[in-house]
Amino acid sequence: MIGDDRMDVGYELLDLQILDRDGMEVGKVDDVEFHLDEDGVPYLTALLVGPDVFGHRIGGWLGRVIAATTRRLRTNRSGPVRIPYDLIGSVRSAVTLTVSRDLLPEPELEHWLREHLIARIPGSGHAQ
Amino acid sequence: MKKFFAVTLGILTAIGGFVDVGDLVASSLSGARFGLALAWVVVVGVVGICAYAEMCGRVVAISNRPVFDLVRERLGARVSLLNLVASYLVNLLTLGAELGGVALALQLATSVSYLLWVPVAAFVLWVVLWRVKFETLERVFGLLGLTLVIFAVAVFRLPGHGPELWHQALSPVPTHGENWNTYGYFAISLFASAMTPYEVFFFSSGGVEEKWGPRELSEMRSNVFVGFPLGGGLALALMAVAAQVYHPLNVKLDTLGQVALPAALAVGKLGLAIAILALFAVTFGAAMETGLSSAYVVAQHFGWAWGKLVPPRRAARFHTVLLVSVLVGAAVLLTTINPIQLTEYMLVFSAVVLPLTYLPILVVANDRRYLQDHVNGKLANTVGVVYLVVIVVAAVAAVPLMIVTGAGG
Repeated sequence: MIGDDRMDVGYELLDLQILDRDGMEVGKVDDVEFHLDEDGVPYLTALLVGPDVFGHRIGGWLGRVIAATTRRLRTNRSGPVRIPYDLIGSVRSAVTLTVSRDLLPEPELEHWLREHLIARIPGSGHAQ
Repeated sequence: MKKFFAVTLGILTAIGGFVDVGDLVASSLSGARFGLALAWVVVVGVVGICAYAEMCGRVVAISNRPVFDLVRERLGARVSLLNLVASYLVNLLTLGAELGGVALALQLATSVSYLLWVPVAAFVLWVVLWRVKFETLERVFGLLGLTLVIFAVAVFRLPGHGPELWHQALSPVPTHGENWNTYGYFAISLFASAMTPYEVFFFSSGGVEEKWGPRELSEMRSNVFVGFPLGGGLALALMAVAAQVYHPLNVKLDTLGQVALPAALAVGKLGLAIAILALFAVTFGAAMETGLSSAYVVAQHFGWAWGKLVPPRRAARFHTVLLVSVLVGAAVLLTTINPIQLTEYMLVFSAVVLPLTYLPILVVANDRRYLQDHVNGKLANTVGVVYLVVIVVAAVAAVPLMIVTGAGG
């Protein structure tokens, strides 16, 4: 971090792993959201997680394919998972949130694969 | 005492777990073709995997993140996506080759065609990864892999050990009737077999799940610096028995049975049985590791929940990739491609992607943000950089040499 309230977003935040309060994986910082304050100075408002924002950010042929595929497969209009900046606890080798991931919207692919495939296989509820 | 036992168990597991189908094939094939003239490559490869595995272990113990997780941050999203595709494909090929090894070992034991064993082996593998207490099985297969010692015993019971083997090992040039291209091709296969990428993915992910911290550093190092070299010793034993039995007759190997045969010649039926058990144990153990690694790299790149400590329904994407990978690995074998050839191609492809695996490890191991005071010292960096050069040379030369030599033909 550069100072207490400033950081190099590209170097220190983008592509970092996001973990919830209990250390469970939430996703990567695929992109970030800025708003402008009254003086026109941008400030960070949220972390964005999802293959479509990831595809947009990396751009190019592959990025467009990833973004378009994600949009095409989307069953509702929810968009990427948005994590407000207030929920961030700490930023070290990962971003740790102050809440459990169960309180955040579940990624659609995870939901779909669980309901249609994984949860139907016996023993899916047991850890080893 | 308990600590001593844990360390010993870790080392023993590392010895048995070091050898996989790539080592079996590369060591035996080059032993038959070149005697021990390529033995030095195994030594070079073992030093390399030790240096880089230690870096991975250190990154995990200090940052609590698996290496592939950090790769995306340091390489940037685009390059790491390329890295992901390459790493996943090479993992998948390795998984196919290991499953082929399992099926061939079962064929040796039962005389039932390996093609019938492939679906059985794939199914059992998936059930194991889905349900069974994995840590126990990893230990069991690692320890069973120690039965490879039968090949070390065979070295001393077969004729031609002693001065002749030393002489071969100390003259690192192509043997009579072979050229430098073939020699180079086999050298690259051997090097890749020691440094197969899945080893570091698996090693670092396992470390995260076992919650390594700074206190585990010394145990991790003893596993790496004692276990891997002893495992490399077993690979050398495989090479030596092939050199004793096949090299004088000018026989080229193309089956897994030929890998096991020297044990039978030296120790009889019991030796053969132990050798087959060893081949089964090391390939099945490696199949578990490569299957998991395929899913690790994808999940860790996209930041999904992964691992064996979470119920599958809490990590649905991870378990889907795992399931699909095992199915694809089995499907590749059912095309009736020769598993030994598949292994050779896997090694060449591994060699090509080695820089993508090892460069980021070296970069991350020098990053104070993750490692604080535990960043690479001078020795680790010197060894790391020297090996990176070797790795790049091997990667560039791998495909041209494969074409020129007709895959060692």
